[in-house]
Amino acid sequence: MALNAARVSGARLSGAILALLVCLPTLAVLAVAISAPGPVKTAFFWDSVAGTGLQLLVGGGGALILGGAAALLVGTCRFPGVGLFSWTLVLPLVAPPYILAYAYSGLGGPGMPVRLEGPLAASLIYALACGPYVYLATRAALVSQSVCALEAARTLGASPLRAVVTVGVPLAWPGLAAGFALAAMEIAADYGAAAHFGAQTITTGVFRAWFAGQNPVGAAQLAALLVVTAGLLLALERRARGARGFAGGSSRWRALNPIALNGLSGWAACGFCALLTVLGAVLPFGYLVDLAVAAGDRIDWAGLVPAAADTLMLGVLGGSVTFTAAGLVALAAARGGRLGQLGLGAASLGYAAPGAVLAVGLLSLYGLLRQAGLVAGLGAGLGLFLLVWAYTARFTAAGAQPVAAGLERVTANMTGAARTLGAGFWARSLRLDVPLAAPSLLAAALIVFSEIVRELPATLILRPFGVETLATRAHALAADEQLAQAAAPALLILAIGVIPIVLLVAGIGRARAGQR
Amino acid sequence: MHRRALIRLFSPAALAMGLILAGCGPARAPAKTGEEQVVRVYSSRHYAADKALYAAFTEATGIKVETTEAGGEELLARLKQEGEASPADLIVTVDAGNLWRLTQEGLLQPHGDAEIDQSVPARFRDPNGMWVGFSKRARVIAYAPARISAAQVASLDDLTAPRLRGKVCARTSSNVYNLSLLASRIERTGPDAALAWARGVAANLRRNPPEGNDTAQLYAVAAGECDVALVNHYYLLRLRASTEARDVAAAAALAMVFPDQAGAGTHINISGAGIARHAKNRDAAVALLRFLVSVRAQGELGALNEEFPIRTDVQPAPALAALGAFREEDVPLTAFGARQAEALALYERAGWR
Repeated sequence: MALNAARVSGARLSGAILALLVCLPTLAVLAVAISAPGPVKTAFFWDSVAGTGLQLLVGGGGALILGGAAALLVGTCRFPGVGLFSWTLVLPLVAPPYILAYAYSGLGGPGMPVRLEGPLAASLIYALACGPYVYLATRAALVSQSVCALEAARTLGASPLRAVVTVGVPLAWPGLAAGFALAAMEIAADYGAAAHFGAQTITTGVFRAWFAGQNPVGAAQLAALLVVTAGLLLALERRARGARGFAGGSSRWRALNPIALNGLSGWAACGFCALLTVLGAVLPFGYLVDLAVAAGDRIDWAGLVPAAADTLMLGVLGGSVTFTAAGLVALAAARGGRLGQLGLGAASLGYAAPGAVLAVGLLSLYGLLRQAGLVAGLGAGLGLFLLVWAYTARFTAAGAQPVAAGLERVTANMTGAARTLGAGFWARSLRLDVPLAAPSLLAAALIVFSEIVRELPATLILRPFGVETLATRAHALAADEQLAQAAAPALLILAIGVIPIVLLVAGIGRARAGQR
Repeated sequence: MHRRALIRLFSPAALAMGLILAGCGPARAPAKTGEEQVVRVYSSRHYAADKALYAAFTEATGIKVETTEAGGEELLARLKQEGEASPADLIVTVDAGNLWRLTQEGLLQPHGDAEIDQSVPARFRDPNGMWVGFSKRARVIAYAPARISAAQVASLDDLTAPRLRGKVCARTSSNVYNLSLLASRIERTGPDAALAWARGVAANLRRNPPEGNDTAQLYAVAAGECDVALVNHYYLLRLRASTEARDVAAAAALAMVFPDQAGAGTHINISGAGIARHAKNRDAAVALLRFLVSVRAQGELGALNEEFPIRTDVQPAPALAALGAFREEDVPLTAFGARQAEALALYERAGWR
């Protein structure tokens, strides 16, 4: 017993240390922010705050409603095309907001029948791009749930819609909350789509102050505001999740028996999912294909092969490290009491900070170490190390939040039973937590890999000589306003992103807990 | 079985950690004589033309060129933190303001090459040899000849005319091209007149905050949403050179003027380069800089990228020559950097987002 107690506190401690490492770049940004005696004036401050509020409300709210509704339909109902939609609805995840914005600015540009511009155009992009976060987290939460309650509701005579709304929504609550928190943080940190459509946000303010105003402290203070926003969102999410104690459910597992939507309601569900698929994937991706075809022989496909290889390398390398960190931090949070919870929160803060800001925070840490004579120049090894660190600082939240939601499936009773049977911390994690949270682990791995494959600003700043990803390639062409040529690397980003989606969707169906 | 699952799950991560730690050695040592020579470039220019020039340089000298591209401000942050450990040899960037910043931060060193100084007019290089311009771009007014005449937009001051209310398309004021434009105007006319101009244009903007890049402004004029746009000259030339239907249609609907030919002259900005303060391959970097301002490279740059050559003894490419000769605004380029923050503050006071 004494040995077990020591192991548990060791696990707690390592979780806390890991969380600290993960949030160190965020802390560096906060340190810069408070290096001035008071607030540094930045232009259009309240407009920026209001602008970010609008994007969170309309873009984030849209993602919550669209992604949540899609997940509930696909997760609990049977209607025409549901098998196909279960994975097409994830597709927008492979396209970062900046690529969707770039496609939609062409589709809805000057002279087009439907003109998309201004802050609400950015909101639309965010709702489409971030809906899959809510969709994935909600589906993972639903799969981890016993659906007995849903069946009981139907048996008791509730209509399909009523059963889904009154029983399905509460069951999906942890997923909805976690998905919304992720979507909102991603939206708060995004620069590309907001800048593209001329939406003023805190993040566009960060870059205005930093790049144009040569005011790094003011920029860091704005970035600190984003970190505070992330803290608020996470606190809200925890509260929302804690207020609904349905995670305990039944411990009997049976195959899901979906509610059949017949006739009009079935076709309405089908139409809704089809519309989301068309707007989130078919239309923008089709537009990119069209552009690439039009650009034809001006596209240097052979030159994109090394970029694709570097992208995959960074995705696997950064993804593995980030996923591991996310899993351990989430595990420490689930089993490590208050310290673990604090660690999870701290490690998640970086998700709402723009990647460029985190990268510069890391650079200043590196500068301190270099001046102390502890490290050398930013060669290939160190550059890669810092880059992976930046990915981890930024994306641990994206992995840890779904895992934390999935681990709620593991009840105190189960842990107690395992402990009674003599299982230590690692044995319990291995034989209880991992299998039960498997769908959430898969979702987390997919999200983290996708995020890194398409990550731009940190990669741009920290990459070693000769490392070029598809995202940096697309950026170089887009920055040079060669939009047609930029379509080719953008399409390859999508293609690489689709691989784990296929694996995930194949996995989520099979990974139903209790079937192992 | 579960143990195997966990190993499967975490072994790639362990492998990754190992790889990173293994790669954590010191930065690559400078190239020694006898080995393959190399020059490492930090660049905030993203043009395919530059890659072609670097390839030509390698072919001519045998010196390999390695590049890292990022925005000017990101590269500045990176250089500052790397200090003497920086692997960068040559810094290449757009906008004279960025070159001024690099100089102010002490991140450059004099190139000390007489041939370079002879190639580039004094106005387009640092008096101490810290940086050298190698190409020029003009900020011009593109307009729709179907709706407006060249005479109505002969000057940047015309962009403030009340009849253009809601008809002016220009990108965000925090863009470096617009910052240098206003910095130059502050230097020439003083802050009050510059502020009045910015206010006048802001009042005429179709969208504020503006959206999109220079090309987007051109499309907007071509589609009839605006009558005029403020853009760098080469974006219009690219539309004219393009074979895509949308670009061909846009180019046909657009014309351009070099503003202020009867007044102060057209605003000019440069791309330039300087030797990194802690260059490990200084000689190779100077050789590359010399190559960039050579007659050969200057001729190719115009043809590849529609920029004006910095040398006066090199003829612009045909598409550029067709635009005709024009008078340039004569303001010291160092003002672009020195007054950049002031320019942003004025834009913000003027309400141009």
